[in-house]
Amino acid sequence: MTGTGGSDPSVPAVQLTGITKRFGGIVACDQVDLTLYRGLVHGILGENGAGKSTLMKVLIGLVLPDEGSILIDGQPRTIHDPLAAAALGIGMVHQHFSLVDQLSVWENVALGEAGKLDSSGVRRRVAAISEQYGLDIDPEAQVGTLTAGLRQRVEIIKCLRRDPHILVFDEPTSVLTPEESEQLFSTLREVVAAENRAVVLVSHKLDEVLHATDEITIMRQGRVVDRRPTTDADARSLARAMVGREVSLRSERAAFGLTEIEEAADVGPEDGQAAETVISDEPVLRIEGVTVRGRRGGARLLDDISLDLRAGEIVGVAGVEGNGQRTLGDLLSSLVPLDSGQVVVNDSVVRTGAPGAMAKAGIGVIPEDRHDSGVVLDMTVAENLLMVDPHRVARHGVMDKGQVTEAAQQMIEEFDIGCSGPDAPLWSLSGGNQQRVVLARELAADPDVLVAAQPTRGLDVGAIEYMTDRLRQTAVDGVAVLLISSELEEILELSDRIVVMSRGRIVGELSHDDANLETLGLLMGGSEA
Amino acid sequence: MTRGARAAEWVVLYALSIVVALAISSVIVKATGGDWWPVVEALVDGSIKAPGRWGETLGIAAPLLLVALGTVISAKAGLINIGQEGQLLMGAAFAVFFSFRIGGPGPLNVVLLLLFGALGGAVWASVAGLLRFWRGVPEVLSTLLLVFVAVQAVGYGLKWQWLLLADEASRGNRNLVSEQLAKDNRIPRPDIFGNEFPITVYVALALALAVAYVLARTVWGFRLRMLGHNPRAAQRSGVSSTVYGATALAIGGAFAGLAGAAMFAGGGFSFGNYRLVPGFSDFIGWTGLLVALMARERALPAVVAAFVFAMLRTGAGFVNSTGVESRITDVVQGLLVLALLVPPAVVFLRDRRRARAAATERV
Ligand SMILES: Nc1ncnc2c1ncn2[C@@H]1O[C@H](COP(=O)(O)OP(=O)(O)OP(=O)(O)O)[C@@H](O)[C@H]1O
Ligand SMILES: [Mg+2]
Repeated sequence: MTGTGGSDPSVPAVQLTGITKRFGGIVACDQVDLTLYRGLVHGILGENGAGKSTLMKVLIGLVLPDEGSILIDGQPRTIHDPLAAAALGIGMVHQHFSLVDQLSVWENVALGEAGKLDSSGVRRRVAAISEQYGLDIDPEAQVGTLTAGLRQRVEIIKCLRRDPHILVFDEPTSVLTPEESEQLFSTLREVVAAENRAVVLVSHKLDEVLHATDEITIMRQGRVVDRRPTTDADARSLARAMVGREVSLRSERAAFGLTEIEEAADVGPEDGQAAETVISDEPVLRIEGVTVRGRRGGARLLDDISLDLRAGEIVGVAGVEGNGQRTLGDLLSSLVPLDSGQVVVNDSVVRTGAPGAMAKAGIGVIPEDRHDSGVVLDMTVAENLLMVDPHRVARHGVMDKGQVTEAAQQMIEEFDIGCSGPDAPLWSLSGGNQQRVVLARELAADPDVLVAAQPTRGLDVGAIEYMTDRLRQTAVDGVAVLLISSELEEILELSDRIVVMSRGRIVGELSHDDANLETLGLLMGGSEA
Repeated sequence: MTRGARAAEWVVLYALSIVVALAISSVIVKATGGDWWPVVEALVDGSIKAPGRWGETLGIAAPLLLVALGTVISAKAGLINIGQEGQLLMGAAFAVFFSFRIGGPGPLNVVLLLLFGALGGAVWASVAGLLRFWRGVPEVLSTLLLVFVAVQAVGYGLKWQWLLLADEASRGNRNLVSEQLAKDNRIPRPDIFGNEFPITVYVALALALAVAYVLARTVWGFRLRMLGHNPRAAQRSGVSSTVYGATALAIGGAFAGLAGAAMFAGGGFSFGNYRLVPGFSDFIGWTGLLVALMARERALPAVVAAFVFAMLRTGAGFVNSTGVESRITDVVQGLLVLALLVPPAVVFLRDRRRARAAATERV
């Protein structure tokens, strides 16, 4: 399957020159050059909407460039569609999954293959790939039952099965825990070097890029603004080059929060938190003995969970992904009914599972998968921003066009949502900007309780900084915040209190002061507090 | 793609597929010993050119448009209603029952019989709604099956005098017909430049505007579209799929039922001449579904699409008179229908693939 090219390492595997792509008035890529060599991993960094995904789509044939040329192994090529790209040995792993839940892992891998289905052959191949790349997975498992991290593995195996010699990863690890992604990339890196493949990695995680790549290209507003060998880069300077200003990085802040220095006088903005925040005594949200069973009376997704949330506090929910966090989010989004227990908001019991009941009771939710229940891709930015409460801009049931645009415009500015205007269809926004739409809507709705599941997933470092401050401010303003995250650093940085979930249960609770990576890690691993 | 390029693309697609359909038709007509140019002329004459023909075409376009509007509404909620033919027939039956068993003389009764027709269609579609939201039966199946049930039920009604059958005096020696609607209960058909059509044409046009407005601008329409695009986001935002879905189905049925009533009371020889007879619905329901497809489930384009489909029907009537065998004209008509549906299908499939790619492969 691999393309024509020999493996002469001096001929670049891919050479993009002067790639320009415009969408209406927006220049997504502006005279971009990019060269990939075999055996090397190339990182691409950039703010939300910088044009990273567009550039990758040019390479994979999903977007046709307006200008520019593509050389693959030294040969000029036009790549009209993903099939043509596959024929040239280019494969891509996308962030959003395209898997069939009802099928098993190996069946998903076999999907899209022409010819007779050789089931034992595919199984063997899956096993071989997972062995070779350290992507541990059971080929017989049904995909619907897998966690996001494992699904991501299936996607990667699917891509590797075609044996591409040019591999594109567009934010592949935003659903992986830091450990998972670290493991993935160290193996991948070795193997890639040994097998002489060329790899591009688009990511917002600076540590990961520093750890996994050989060379880094930084894009801003469609242009390449910097390019350097990874050995000359550090997180701080990369962040500055990306955003064009100093940013305080989560890793630094989290590390900060865990040391004694916090006690000292001037540690920056988060220091004021403890003093200002007034946590009330009365809980706003009470989750009492909640149990949710899977479909067909299967295993318990939530098992006798009890949790109180008070106004002004941020409670972090830590845990390995797939231990009930998703169901907890769905429950508070009125998406699943419960089997026993109750959810009480401001002293009244909420009818779980009834459409919009949670929203009406004052619970805002940033869902972990924005495409699932967070946005409507085929509607406009304005419509998405007003989804939950359209009556706000309506009179006698008719939406006032002027008010709609005005309200949307205001949120677009406040949250710096990159789009061509309130009427842009949501699918035309970059991933990070879609996430901002969700955040803007939920924060602007003025909830009593805010459930934030992986709120910063897909955001660039600048936006993460901003959102972190916003979440903290939200709590200061008297909202009870439930932060569900697979990133321990995020949880440690923000939470006043941390609960740990494992197998649908709450297995431990720690105050902010008692929590650190080690104690949390132990609890998540399953030992009781 | 820019607006201009899009428009040009549509023109080219339609031109291409119609030319292809005509080319195939001409081969078929030639092969069976006919002459093909007269066939084209007959199509144009029959649909607009000959005296009184565009009025006739409008008279057929109106029920087609009504059916299509209903289809648009249920489609926006993400529901696939394909039982318009049965809902239309039920609407006609309700209107007939009202006219002869309940109502009296006078213009008010015209309005009431139309409303009864809408009620009939809504009831029939709601059976499917009930099955869907109470028992989980897919509406594609239930609406389709209910078409056949409707045909049987109306046939049964036409056997009993207390239901739909006319009394002996007015049915003469015919079986299975209803009474003829009294003159003062009919929908007016004013004459305009030698063309006659029922004023329900204006009603249908007004409703097309109303549907477009409601879907685009009202909170209800907004939430309905949300349900169709992303049911989970809708559920979370307080849109009950049961309430909105069942309502959308019922409204869809009401439009089809209204079409049936309008056909019954609107005259024109093609529609049973103010009587309910077996085969009354005459594929208007099915064709209306195709109209909605051609309009790609949007209300205003459905106006144009309904007229085009009506032209095919009235035009085909004239083709028969050119001496071409009627089975061949059926084939020609079928080919032209296909030609009208191919471009939207092509664009739909392509756009969907693009949208999917954009949506799922975006990070
Ligand atoms: N199909 C499209 N139609 C219109 N605009 C588009 C389209 N695709 C991308 N854009 C715009 O092009 C710009 C670049 O988008 P792109 O998806 O490449 O960003 P990105 O660098 O991947 O950002 P993120 O980090 O948020 O994923 C954005 O402003 C986006 O809105
Ligand atoms: Mg992107």
